[in-house]
Amino acid sequence: MRLPPQPNERIDRSAELTFSFEGKAVSAFAGDTIGSALYAGGRRIFSRSFKYHRPRGLLCCSGGCANCLMEVDGVPNVRVCVEPARAGAQVRAQNVRGSLERDLLSVVDKIGGPFTPVGFYYRTMIRPRRLWPYYERFLRSVAGLGRLDKHARRTNRYDVEHRHVDVLVVGGGYAGVEAARRHARAGRRVVVVDERGGDNPGSDFELVAPARAIGIYEGGLVPVDAGGILYRFRADHIVLATGTIEQPLLFPGNDLVGVVLPEAVRRLVEDWALKPGERAVVIAADDRGLDTTDVLERAGAVVVAAIDLRDAQPTRIEAKGRRGRLRSVVVGDREFACDLLVASGTPQPAYSLLAQAGARVEYDRRRGIFLPTELPANVEAVGSVAGELGSAAIPAASFDGHKGRCFVCLCEDVTEKDVKRAIAEGFDSIELAKRYTTVTMGPCQGRLCHLASIRLFAREQETGPDSIGTTTARPPWAPVSLGLLAGRGHEPAKRTSIHHRHEEAGATMMWTGAWRRPHSYGDPAAEARHVHEAVGLIDVSTLGKLLVQGPEAAPFLEMLYPNRFGDMKTGRIRYGVLETDAGRIMDDGTIGRLSDDQYYVTTTSTGADTVIEWFEWWNAVWGMDVEIVNLTGALAAVNIAGPRARELLARVTDIDVSNESIAYLDAKEALVAGVPSLLLRIGFVGELGYELHFPSPYGEYLWDTLLERGADLDIRPFGLEPQRILRLEKMHILVGQDTDSESNVLEAGMPWIAKLDKENDFVGKWALEHVRERGFREQLVGFEMDNGVVPAEGGQIVADGSAVGRVTSARLSPQLGRVIGMAWVRSDLASEDGELRLKVNGNLETARVRLKPFFDPDGERLRS
Amino acid sequence: MKGLFRVERMWRPRGELKRRYDVVIVGGGSHGLATAYYLAKNHGITDVAVLEQSYLGSGAAGRNTTIIRANYRTPEGAQFYRRSLELYEGLGAELDFNLLFSQQGHLTLAHSDRAMITMAERAEVNQLLGIDSRLVDRDGVARLCPELNLADEVTWPIMGALYHPPGGIIRHDAVVWGLARGADRRGVELHPYTEVTGIERSNGRVTGVRTTRGEVEAGTVISATAGWSTLIGDMAGVALPITTHILQAFVTEPLKPFLDVVIVSSQMHVYISQTDRGEFLIGAEIEPYTTYRGTSTFPFLEYSARHTLELFPQLESAKVLRQWTGLCDISPDYSPILGVTEADGFLVSCGWGTYGFKAAPIVGTTLAELVATGKTPDLISPFALERFYRDSLVSELAAAAVSH
Repeated sequence: MRLPPQPNERIDRSAELTFSFEGKAVSAFAGDTIGSALYAGGRRIFSRSFKYHRPRGLLCCSGGCANCLMEVDGVPNVRVCVEPARAGAQVRAQNVRGSLERDLLSVVDKIGGPFTPVGFYYRTMIRPRRLWPYYERFLRSVAGLGRLDKHARRTNRYDVEHRHVDVLVVGGGYAGVEAARRHARAGRRVVVVDERGGDNPGSDFELVAPARAIGIYEGGLVPVDAGGILYRFRADHIVLATGTIEQPLLFPGNDLVGVVLPEAVRRLVEDWALKPGERAVVIAADDRGLDTTDVLERAGAVVVAAIDLRDAQPTRIEAKGRRGRLRSVVVGDREFACDLLVASGTPQPAYSLLAQAGARVEYDRRRGIFLPTELPANVEAVGSVAGELGSAAIPAASFDGHKGRCFVCLCEDVTEKDVKRAIAEGFDSIELAKRYTTVTMGPCQGRLCHLASIRLFAREQETGPDSIGTTTARPPWAPVSLGLLAGRGHEPAKRTSIHHRHEEAGATMMWTGAWRRPHSYGDPAAEARHVHEAVGLIDVSTLGKLLVQGPEAAPFLEMLYPNRFGDMKTGRIRYGVLETDAGRIMDDGTIGRLSDDQYYVTTTSTGADTVIEWFEWWNAVWGMDVEIVNLTGALAAVNIAGPRARELLARVTDIDVSNESIAYLDAKEALVAGVPSLLLRIGFVGELGYELHFPSPYGEYLWDTLLERGADLDIRPFGLEPQRILRLEKMHILVGQDTDSESNVLEAGMPWIAKLDKENDFVGKWALEHVRERGFREQLVGFEMDNGVVPAEGGQIVADGSAVGRVTSARLSPQLGRVIGMAWVRSDLASEDGELRLKVNGNLETARVRLKPFFDPDGERLRS
Repeated sequence: MKGLFRVERMWRPRGELKRRYDVVIVGGGSHGLATAYYLAKNHGITDVAVLEQSYLGSGAAGRNTTIIRANYRTPEGAQFYRRSLELYEGLGAELDFNLLFSQQGHLTLAHSDRAMITMAERAEVNQLLGIDSRLVDRDGVARLCPELNLADEVTWPIMGALYHPPGGIIRHDAVVWGLARGADRRGVELHPYTEVTGIERSNGRVTGVRTTRGEVEAGTVISATAGWSTLIGDMAGVALPITTHILQAFVTEPLKPFLDVVIVSSQMHVYISQTDRGEFLIGAEIEPYTTYRGTSTFPFLEYSARHTLELFPQLESAKVLRQWTGLCDISPDYSPILGVTEADGFLVSCGWGTYGFKAAPIVGTTLAELVATGKTPDLISPFALERFYRDSLVSELAAAAVSH
């Protein structure tokens, strides 16, 4: 039943719509919320409480409390009092066994009370321990509020928009709009964010509504939840006009359905033309609360009593009800039959955002509320949040009654008795009491219970609330969905410029860091063998590529790496291992000298970003005359490897490719199939090979050309997995797999890298000197299995039942027909042919230590 | 059950500070309180004061994401945390306080073949020490957590996981309160809101502390101050190789529980569990910058939400209720620094990074033993501060700069 049209009502009576509640049709007008439509249909119980499953009805009607949480279209915990009614919406009650009217779990309220005082779960179900898992299962079955469809996928699209404005006003009430106009008149671009909106404010500022500021974060970032879009506002000036939050009174029965805050009355009547009750009692601490008397009377309700707490505070307030619904109110020694009780204490300025912005918040003893003080620069508070409030009484921390529970926190079902008990138990600081009772930790985030709990706490401690302090105002200011925060979820994923060719060739792709790379093209073993026998082609564009140039390029690299580079001739390449300042292996790659003051540095695929940062950081520290250019994305790279590699290269370039002209570890610039390329003759996979680095856009062209021109040489692409087999045959390490965060080059078996006699210092030198001094504890070695079992990488090497080492790599080498691997072992075990015992699937298997590469130990094929 | 009907104080109200204590513990978190508790319980040393700058459990103890596990990478770490887990299992009964220890199992996801190797290594190390820890493949993950998104078309497809059945979550505040009560009942003095402002030394020996409530002499001073360790160490003249970073977390509104296993992805920097109250508790990796300022950031919410939804798209409409931040004391090898320092009479428990809360009972027992006997227990000797001078680190990092 609706009242006659109200002057400012938000409903459009000409536009009717229907949604369903628990499967039954509910009609609504456009402009209704789900809550108002249900209320219009006669519904008064909207939820069941968290712990006791007590009936709860509309209380704040402003989206602040947890009393109207329902499931809407599969979304749990929706505050239906502010959720617009949509045609076809499916609305359901939550946290009930049965119906809202008859909830089986309300048995907890009826008989469970004495057994479930505050913190009962800490004191029960301790012994016997073996029963705890069953108790826990029961606890979990009754915990939680709403239910999620656990098989649901993401369905909504969320976007993010970055906004820069001169002035951001949070709160579009009178004070907020006033401030917005003032700033607009001064020529500033102003945006107002408001939870409701609706009224057209004119053209002098932009209104974003309905929308909520999530918080005020570092650097003045104000994220705003506008439903499907997240605005990330940065403003020169922030105006907070967040108003106040009406505070409930504490008295027995204060959670009965029919006990409401003043705003609920105003919204029900003025916005939706609904009559909040027939017979009402109003108890309020200020004019704004008492004004509801007029609103109610205009709506045709009878106000049987209006009590102004400023006149006198009653000795007793008690609400009585039946089946959770209000029937009468006792005030002092009088009892009034009624179905509505408007009860409100002093409104509390909504200071959370101010506190997050860095304002101090202090209890004002005279006014009985917390007020923001000492605002940070560029932040302004206007209106009631700044304390511009009419006179108000400070209500008693709680009012006595004879019977019934007096709730401090409705979300969590924490009663006055619970708080008293917590204090008596020694939880005598507000932070401890909050954690023990969970008051303020429910869905209302303390809006309706923070002030009340502190007042109560102060009274019980016989001190003033000002000496109690407050608890931290943690963001977000209003609950915000993970979907909105996540946005559309773009994550960087990198592809090389040859990526599509691999897909076309049917490669199995795998992730290496942010890169997608071919694992193999079908048969890793055959691909590996083919490199040994003919020629293979692999895309190595993912390598990090840096140009280091400048007069001090050589000394710069010599200080970064343990290697020596100053003595390198132009056109030569060296393998380098980069170390942390603690001498631990960080990355590896090749360093080619292109000219006197120009070096070309490659890094591992996943280490590129770290290495670049590392280079730039040290360059900043040392202030050397060096430039670092990151060419990782600009250049593609492929490796042609195998005995027929030279023949293929000769066909596509006009330079002399003889062993004399480009020897092993030579670097040369040349045109390859017309593409300007840098040729690096290196041998990661153990065969004659050339790494070609060239501009990325030519990736597919060069890949195709090499395959085409090498067709009669039987060229075949090979993937990452065959490359891993090939490099293992050569005992070439993979940083991060064969090394961990404690590995150093000496113990990793590469002592020639560390030029400890270099005249200059280098990063990590002291640590390597120390390792040399203390002797080796463990060493990275190769091993060969006695039988054909392939041990798991990460498997343990065991002696006398305890671990003495670990396997880092292991593969069956198709070329050698043996199972080979690398492992860290205690250094006394690191001798050629020494026996290792490996744990493989629970059995101990035998392996022999190998200290030289398994394949072509002297590197003749590399140099051929 | 009788505790239900009788209202008893958990601990005595804070009294005046005495002039001297045998042992002064700086830090009223899980480590400080556990040490105090075991000093009294195991060794009868009760002339102990716990000094806390704020309320009990206000630091890392009250801010962590409450995960307990023992499946560490190094044998040193694994056997240490195994003992801690065992102690935790019996701690509720011992303290007569239900710690709501939910041993629901713990899954560390692997999203790359290299991560699978690390998981395999951890499983092997763990099994050698008798820790229930195993590698499971994708199907195994699906069986253990059918709600997890195992689709391929995501940024980090799940290849498998390290499964640790005895791992789980616990009510962190209950651990603090239970230990505080246990210590108090044995005569230990608890002094919240008592900040240490200086440490007295004479002839290389620590002799007492200065506090905001006066000076106190001490036979032994123990620092158990996590993110503030370097500052306290500095007062004692002990330089600690520690940097302080922030670690953030958030909870959602309570939802009907469906996730009955702890999910961790170090590659995605996210861990997810659902508490017995129904809240999803989600944490991240430490922020890369150093700071003592515990301010929460918004980008953390954004990327954590993104990663959470990749694993659990059904949480799209779940709402974040509260976010917070704690300080972490990071050591170079991600292993703790525990025991004696070069300053006589000054012991530390620090360098815990993101693992401290899991170690509280074992830190308590071993530090108490060290104080009582003057001898470093074998279990913690690998974690001595001296290791950084001997260069024998205990690497809980798999590869440089990737923690798990």
